[in-house]
Amino acid sequence: MDIGSHVITLMAALILVVQLLMTAQRQLPTSIRLFAIQSLLLAAIAAVVAYYHNASHVYIVAGLTLAGKVFFLPWLLNRLVQRIQIHQEIEPLFNAPTSMLICGGLTLLGYVVARPFTSLERLGNNTLPVALTLLLTGFFLMINCRKALTQVLALLTVENGVMLAAVAVASYGMPLVVELGIFFDVLVAVMVLGILVYRIRETFASMDTSKLNQLKG
Amino acid sequence: MNMNDFSATLLTCALGAYVAGIVGALLFQRAEKLANGVGFGLAAAGGVCGIFACASSLATGAATASQSFALFPSLIPYVRFGLRADALGCFFGMVVSLLGVALSIYSLGYVRGYYGHKNAGVLGAFFNLLLLATTLVFLADNAFFFLIAWELMALSAYCLVSFEHEHAETRNAGVLFFIMSHLGTGCLILGFLLLFQASGSYGFEGFHALGDKMPAARRNVVFLLFLIGFGVKAGMVPLHIWLPAAHPVAPSNVSALMSGVLIKTGIYGLARVCFDFLGTPPNWWGVTVLTLGTISAVLGVLYALMEHDLKRLLAYHSIENIGIILMGLGAALMFLHSGHPVLASLALIAGLYHTLNHAVFKALLFLGAGAVLHATHTRNMEDLGGLAKRMRWTTLCFLVGAVAISALPPLNGFVSEWLTYQSLLQGFGTTTSLIRLMFPLSGAMLALTGALAAACFVKAFGVTFLGQPRGDHARQAREVPFPMLLGQGILVAACVFLGLFPTVFLKLFDPLTRQLTGQQLSQQLTMADGLVLSGGPAQGGTVSTPGIALMLLCLLPVPLTLWALFARRAGTRIGPTWDCGQRGLTPQMQYTATGFSKPLRMIFKALFRPRREVQREYDFSPYFTTTLRFESHVEEVFQTRIYRPLRWLVLRASRRLRALQAGSLQAYLIYIFVTLLALLLFAL
Repeated sequence: MDIGSHVITLMAALILVVQLLMTAQRQLPTSIRLFAIQSLLLAAIAAVVAYYHNASHVYIVAGLTLAGKVFFLPWLLNRLVQRIQIHQEIEPLFNAPTSMLICGGLTLLGYVVARPFTSLERLGNNTLPVALTLLLTGFFLMINCRKALTQVLALLTVENGVMLAAVAVASYGMPLVVELGIFFDVLVAVMVLGILVYRIRETFASMDTSKLNQLKG
Repeated sequence: MNMNDFSATLLTCALGAYVAGIVGALLFQRAEKLANGVGFGLAAAGGVCGIFACASSLATGAATASQSFALFPSLIPYVRFGLRADALGCFFGMVVSLLGVALSIYSLGYVRGYYGHKNAGVLGAFFNLLLLATTLVFLADNAFFFLIAWELMALSAYCLVSFEHEHAETRNAGVLFFIMSHLGTGCLILGFLLLFQASGSYGFEGFHALGDKMPAARRNVVFLLFLIGFGVKAGMVPLHIWLPAAHPVAPSNVSALMSGVLIKTGIYGLARVCFDFLGTPPNWWGVTVLTLGTISAVLGVLYALMEHDLKRLLAYHSIENIGIILMGLGAALMFLHSGHPVLASLALIAGLYHTLNHAVFKALLFLGAGAVLHATHTRNMEDLGGLAKRMRWTTLCFLVGAVAISALPPLNGFVSEWLTYQSLLQGFGTTTSLIRLMFPLSGAMLALTGALAAACFVKAFGVTFLGQPRGDHARQAREVPFPMLLGQGILVAACVFLGLFPTVFLKLFDPLTRQLTGQQLSQQLTMADGLVLSGGPAQGGTVSTPGIALMLLCLLPVPLTLWALFARRAGTRIGPTWDCGQRGLTPQMQYTATGFSKPLRMIFKALFRPRREVQREYDFSPYFTTTLRFESHVEEVFQTRIYRPLRWLVLRASRRLRALQAGSLQAYLIYIFVTLLALLLFAL
């Protein structure tokens, strides 16, 4: 195990911690900050991978992650929060202890599922499980939060998980075209969702997506 | 190799012309005359290139050793836009190009009828798109590209069927076509996935003779999936219901293209899969195809007999002819199973020759129906009549088509049906099991079909063109513009040539049978310098269509001579035909289409379940009726017995399933999440 693997293992663990913090968090601005930190860690992992394997195109991925997910998207979401003027009340379906327990279970599942593939990993030995856990807990977060904005955040953490898996497992990143595609996908998705959240808020005087079933004929 | 390059270049030219036709027709859609000229002119040019490309690569034998080449570099990984002009593909490519030329020229005149109220540019663009997609279906060299072209074809055909979408009937037919077509495509995707699993690549070259390496059960599943998938497109009974609905409502040039080529993509697919991919077939495949073909042929012609709508009648005849083609293919499969490759080649040639012939004469008939529709604005035969005096050339063309489809010598329909008979009759000796009874039975059914088809066209031609006009539309009919006649004329010429000189065309089948069955039959089928067609190697019969034609010509002077010898001295009176001396025949006294088909409706009562309703009102005695209302219906068994209950079941199940669709975002997310978890746990 070289030093790069150690660094990556450490940072992957930190990502997981941040994710668990997010599930317990009720303040929207804090959640956004946590997401920024998580993305920063992801960018760092990408940079380490690029440095240790001389994979120059992964630097681009790291740079894009830094610019997009650490600065631009959190800024965008913060602005949205200010415009809609809500600060707390995430109003989850489950209370914090229960959701922590469920996330613990999902983490376990992530590790169990990823076990057969650990030999594939070239870096650290826990990036793939962490990536899977991010995916699962992100999904859980999406179900747990009823507010449209927190669902957007949860979607972004799912995307972080996918990115982590791509960087860590698939031979130092997927082809650049694919990663760029995913990246701009997410960017556009968040922009659209941002507008949508605003509209939902205006129409229903609330961001609660569970009220959307009034639309059903 | 040189020739191969030549035909590849020509082929690319053809495809380029279609693309240019799409763009041009859309570009000039404001100026409809220009759009018509550009769109259909380029389609005709593309067709000419296509004919030369395919025919040259078939004739020089380049098609057997053809390499695939990429049409343009692929931008998407795993998807390769590759073309492979092999013999089977070239043959079908020739069919579509030939029809493309004739139909495009016809359309130059036909589309004039839409000026002012419909967009001719859009029609031209979709017509080109359909030609392009169909050509690509025949030439695609991998499953991905094939499916893309297949879908493109289905969608453009859907748009063309719904072209006159202001009528509810058209919209319904379009939707039915859409649903059935996608049902078939679903089966095809599954089938290709199973083949991919066995071969590891999507290329058609990798699929060659793959079936011999697959487990038997899986191979059978693949066969059934493809049979359903391609059977829907071909209009095989019982998957045919979209066909009589969609063909009549489409513009007539499109109906001709659909009936001539689109449904043949199903035949192409079956031939490709059964003879190229799936290896030596088990016996029941051939038996199934032969049985379904026989049923399609008989039922198709029976339903055709009951129709009064000229285009629906032709649509039902398409089902009949698809049945005849399938009989050839099914017999070929059975021969391959029993190890008679020569007979298999004969049956295959019979089926594919009938594919070409049917494309030609059915397109001709649809064009004739289109001309009638153009001139009279009605498809109902009971309103027509007397058109022979008003539209001489159209009548002549339709007559040629009717003779060809009724399999009367010396035209082309006779030749291919004769070859089918030959292969079926010789099949009796190939096995000793009881299954060999299939062959004479199918042959008998084919004979029945031929006779009924002839009866049906006596009705269609007689009621539409002969006698007196039954309505004002028919009375005011005028001959159609020249391009429409030219389009029909090309097909008439093709009918005659394909009928009189089959031995010339049989040479084109050599690379094809070499590719699929390893045989080469044109030498054995040709006798006396190509003037006599032989029915195969062993105990086949012989026939000579040029001889029959010559005999007809020689017999022609006989009545003249007799008249000159005996009757010249008798006085000649000129009077109205058929009035038996009574003055004042009216159109109401004529035989109607319903009346003509009544005996057959009674004979096949068990199938048709005819129902009629007569209401009469009278004042003092039933013999002096004041008003009379008559209704007669024939039950469409497949609609009422299979599809209606099926639709009811699907709708009921859908209503139940709607509970899932709660309208809550959380619920949807939970569905996805639970599925994800289940899949992960399943993978453990």
